[in-house]
Amino acid sequence: MKLSGIGIRRMLQISSALVILGLLLEMLSLLWFHPLSFVLFAFVAAGLIGLGILTYLVSLVLVVAPRGDTGH
Amino acid sequence: MIGILICQIALSIVVASVFLFRPSLTSSAGWKIVAFVGLCVLPALCLVGGMNAHVQRSETTQFCTSCHVMIPYGQSLYIDDANHIPAQHFQNHRVPADMACYSCHADYTLYGPLNDKMRGLERIYLQYVTQPPDPAAIRIPGGFKNAQCLHCHAGARSFEENPVHSPIMSTLMSNEVSCLSSGCHDTAHDIANLDHQKFWKPVQ
Repeated sequence: MKLSGIGIRRMLQISSALVILGLLLEMLSLLWFHPLSFVLFAFVAAGLIGLGILTYLVSLVLVVAPRGDTGH
Repeated sequence: MIGILICQIALSIVVASVFLFRPSLTSSAGWKIVAFVGLCVLPALCLVGGMNAHVQRSETTQFCTSCHVMIPYGQSLYIDDANHIPAQHFQNHRVPADMACYSCHADYTLYGPLNDKMRGLERIYLQYVTQPPDPAAIRIPGGFKNAQCLHCHAGARSFEENPVHSPIMSTLMSNEVSCLSSGCHDTAHDIANLDHQKFWKPVQ
């Protein structure tokens, strides 16, 4: 399966949003001194960041360069 | 340490934000590399750093006693009684005071830290989802193993040349005779009688 340029940009936005949300939660978990902060980090923040990275990597695999970008 | 990690996370957020609002930038080769760093490398490094920071934090005495059921155990470290083993170790810095719980209760085996974390998660589940246990009724699954004492004491001259220890050394090593429950060092975390104890007050 290959995606168009617009589809890839959409995936990049989803990936960025997931990574940003995960990183914000990671920051919160580091500033919050509570036993639940580890749970927040390990199960929510890490999951979102991991999903964001995965989405980005999937977008690389499915990439199809528009004709104008190849330089030919 | 956490300050550096927070800065790294903030930087990652800034870089990732660029691609949230301007994903079309990735059409050029230079920005493709920036996207790879911002959406893959930096977040992965933040994950590793975060895990490291959380694992280190979870080894501190302050973290252990931040859990409601562990508060009396933290108080028992200040009992003014020479026979109270955890208090004596804590007050005389026989274990690092800021890692007192972890020093004696860590599972010193290959997968020990992982097992400890799983046990910690189980306790969080008990605390927030089911009925929190009565602090005085908490017991270590399988009992307190001599290996945890011997991790520091084994090989120490004062321990090995002690006339009580030397004849039974092999049974101590094999855990046949327990350091704690065989009647020798049997006062540990006397939570049930905390109200009747005298407490040591540090100078600070």
